[in-house]
Amino acid sequence: MTTPVVGRQRTLGFSQPAPPPPLRTPRTSLKLRNALIGWTFILPNFLGFAVLTLVPVFTLFYMSLTDWNIFGTAKWVGLDNFARLVGDKSFHIALGNTFYYAALHIPITIVVSLSLALLLNQKLRGAAFFRTVAFFPYITSIVAVAVVWNMLFSPEFGPINQFLSLFTDGDVPGWTVSKDWAMPAVIIVGTWKDMGYYMLLFLAGLQTVPGELQEAARLDGANAWQRFLNVTLPCLRPTMFFVTVMVTIQSLKVFDLILVMTDGGPGQATLVLSQYIYQKGFEQFDFGYASAIAVVLFLICIVVTVVQFLYNKRKEA
Amino acid sequence: MNRKIMSAVGVAAATSLALTGCGGESEPAAAEGPVTITLAGWDFASTPEFQTLADAYHEANPDVTVELKEYPAGDDYDTALTADLSAGAAPDVFIVKNLKNYVTFTEGGTLLDISDVAAELDPETGGLESMAVDGVTYAVPYRQDSWLLYYNKALFEQAGVDLPDGSWTWDDYAAAAEELTTGIDEKQVTGTYLHSWQSAVQGFALAQTEGASIDGGDFSYLAPYYERELATQEAGAQPSYATVTTNELTYQAQFGTQKAAMMPMGSWYIGTLVAEQESGAAETFEWGIAPMPQLDESTTGTENTPVTFGDPTTMGINAGIDESKIATAKDFLRFAAGPDGAAALAEIGITPALIDDAAADAIFSLEGVPQDDLSRFAYTTHETLPENPVGPTTAGIQTILGEMHSAVMSESTPVDEAITEAEERVANEVG
Amino acid sequence: MAARPSALQRSGRVLLYVVMIIAAAGIMLPFAWMVISSLKLNNQVFTAPVQWIPDPVQWRNYFDIWVKADMVTWVRNTLVVSVAVTFLQVLTGSFAAYGFAKMRFPGRDALFLLYIGTIAVPWQSYMIPQFQMLSSWGLNNTLWAIMLLQAFGAFGVFLMKQYYESIPDSLSEAARIDGLSEYGIWWRIIMPLSVPALASLTIITFVQTWNDYLGPLIYLRDRELWTIQLGLQSFIGEYNAEHALVMTGSVLSVLPIALIFLFGQRYFIQGIATTGVKG
Repeated sequence: MTTPVVGRQRTLGFSQPAPPPPLRTPRTSLKLRNALIGWTFILPNFLGFAVLTLVPVFTLFYMSLTDWNIFGTAKWVGLDNFARLVGDKSFHIALGNTFYYAALHIPITIVVSLSLALLLNQKLRGAAFFRTVAFFPYITSIVAVAVVWNMLFSPEFGPINQFLSLFTDGDVPGWTVSKDWAMPAVIIVGTWKDMGYYMLLFLAGLQTVPGELQEAARLDGANAWQRFLNVTLPCLRPTMFFVTVMVTIQSLKVFDLILVMTDGGPGQATLVLSQYIYQKGFEQFDFGYASAIAVVLFLICIVVTVVQFLYNKRKEA
Repeated sequence: MNRKIMSAVGVAAATSLALTGCGGESEPAAAEGPVTITLAGWDFASTPEFQTLADAYHEANPDVTVELKEYPAGDDYDTALTADLSAGAAPDVFIVKNLKNYVTFTEGGTLLDISDVAAELDPETGGLESMAVDGVTYAVPYRQDSWLLYYNKALFEQAGVDLPDGSWTWDDYAAAAEELTTGIDEKQVTGTYLHSWQSAVQGFALAQTEGASIDGGDFSYLAPYYERELATQEAGAQPSYATVTTNELTYQAQFGTQKAAMMPMGSWYIGTLVAEQESGAAETFEWGIAPMPQLDESTTGTENTPVTFGDPTTMGINAGIDESKIATAKDFLRFAAGPDGAAALAEIGITPALIDDAAADAIFSLEGVPQDDLSRFAYTTHETLPENPVGPTTAGIQTILGEMHSAVMSESTPVDEAITEAEERVANEVG
Repeated sequence: MAARPSALQRSGRVLLYVVMIIAAAGIMLPFAWMVISSLKLNNQVFTAPVQWIPDPVQWRNYFDIWVKADMVTWVRNTLVVSVAVTFLQVLTGSFAAYGFAKMRFPGRDALFLLYIGTIAVPWQSYMIPQFQMLSSWGLNNTLWAIMLLQAFGAFGVFLMKQYYESIPDSLSEAARIDGLSEYGIWWRIIMPLSVPALASLTIITFVQTWNDYLGPLIYLRDRELWTIQLGLQSFIGEYNAEHALVMTGSVLSVLPIALIFLFGQRYFIQGIATTGVKG
């Protein structure tokens, strides 16, 4: 597809008549017109989104204020569920574990996937192959991923420990069956699995960095690191914002991976909020309470996101 | 009622005797003309029991068709069925698969009161009694598996260890496991195999310990069972929990390919092992079943009744069923949980809730099932207590005990500390 | 790369390749294990220690899976759903994103936050209310439900909006002065420049729908409607499991995506820089 040549009038099948010259239009009606056009863009998606997502999500918020076992009618209990959260030790553990996972998974994933994207955005022989390889963990079945990593981590028979014991006199971590090491193990696998996904998003973002800017910086004598800091990173800001928000939210609601790798164990060593929600909802049918936990998780995510949003706005300005 | 007696594999006599109890009063006879009721089951390709019951019932009642609705196996069955129930989209009759959810199903009003069906069933039906909640029964057991000790005769001979004779306590079992391991002396072959499930330890402790209960707040009865298992895995007589979970070992492969000389497992494995030996998935070797080891000598020996555990699989009627189909659905339940259903299930190697001689004969006449007396004794004689006693707090407590199980077996937390922690959590979080 | 490479640069490059090849092998290990397991007998899949060489090699799993299972049906259903969802998500998402990125109207940012907010709600916590709603419309046990579930997500809107923001406004301004309508600007100017983002959104949406398990699990009962993931799970029965076949099916289900990615990936690296537009 070629870029339209500026200066030629185009008539499109579905386009509106050209806007009247701005001079004759009062400001307010222009604003109104803009709002209307804006909404026509958003509407097709918004209709589906509002009905299929917003309605159930609002139902969830309502359910968090009730005692509901999924089958019967929900009984209004006000803020009781939230009061119960204050004294629920398992909830505190799940909250702590969730932050533990997020605190490490977010920065590591961003650094690794951005490095991968920068590396594989170059004109390297075989870059196509390596990009595909990096994306593989994301498309491989999560069950296979869990199985293989668990085997690699196996304290007795796993190659990782066999390797480590060469240096440590047999004093090796128990990984997924140890309270202290299960979370690091899960974080390693989580990062490994997600890096290709975020690499892809960064790769797309990198295409918006104008080549001539890079070239100009190079001519000015900037080294690779300076070019990255002063040219690439600023141009990448919208993508960076997107990736940061997504990786934050995805880390805070990590679920599948932990479920198949450790099922929250040993004990409650890797129990995270999403899993606790599932446990309360589908194993114990305490759906009102499960909804309250989901609301808390939502609030945490939204606070973090708004902070990121405002920070981004300020940088933009 | 024009119910025809199923005359499969010469069990007609036994069945007809037991049948005389029903018919007559109950509700108005099932609706006139052809009726179709729907039944929820799982994974029909490898679980033929639902089709078997549906076909057997249809044969006896040509007017009624039982249409199967397929759900996924494992815990996913509950998730999917829960969704359907909540939306009023579930079938007329469904399996209450996980006994710990039973109370929630009844409290949620999803199950019809079928006390009248329960009253007509043989009181010997395994697990029937415990299904009554405040005197009302909402689901009846049609299948009842119990845990047994499977053993590999060839490996015992190779190690020169005496075969189990029904007199074993857990200490005898542990000693045999170690003796077998050293006696066989092959890499990766162990004396016994304990699967990673929490029930594989806790189910026995709960069933065999005097006064033990799941909602009593005291879990000290678990301690000796855990200490024994930890010692056995420490001695290398069974693969460690860490290895079982990280290498995702399957019990079918461990026992079926002769990696373990013994294995405690549910009676469902009889059918699986027979089928796998036939298909070649399992190696061919001579095996037998013995009663589970006991806590002490008061219940050992073939003159006593050994205690083991197992949850019944039960069937209930959707409260949202079309009124005109209730009578038919109840009749189907009566059939499935009664001797006719039992005979049909036994014929395909499944342990019915009602194990009468006919059912036992049917199981032991299957090719590949061991024929020795102890195997038959183990299969037919036992007191089977539920792993999940029916109660409103069972589901919540089992979650906590499950987390305790992984903490103890992975040796992350010492037994006593883990038990104290679990007791505190139950007091704090459940109720 | 400009200038001629020095010896140092060349050996650096060789080292880089060595590292990349080792890393690639490590990354591919789980997939390799899947392939190896798919060539094993069922009871050999999970062993301690791991058996890395299948003995005997079971090629027949790749034959059996088409005979023993409705693989053809599963692939067809999965394909129908994935294509429909991807099409709707990319189309409506990129359209809505234009409204968020390039139009100014009151409440825009709040609405946008609402979109992002829903990403933060775990699906399993509202899937029951959602299921009840779709069931009341009679859509449970249909492929329509699976399509609707994922087609209007917030993810696509967010991704496309962020990408549009990195396209200089001067481009659309110029077109506006030329009398192009907003719709025209979206279609003629913005879309062609967003190929890398559209390509990523397409592949990500496609993969997500292709690999989704919980959605089909909740909604689909009839065998004729099963997707690949749901079908493969049916190999794991109550008392026995066909692990080798599960792995065979998983390998088969990953391959098409990998191939699409391998051949489609030039679109990820073709953007403003290569279309020759001067901002």
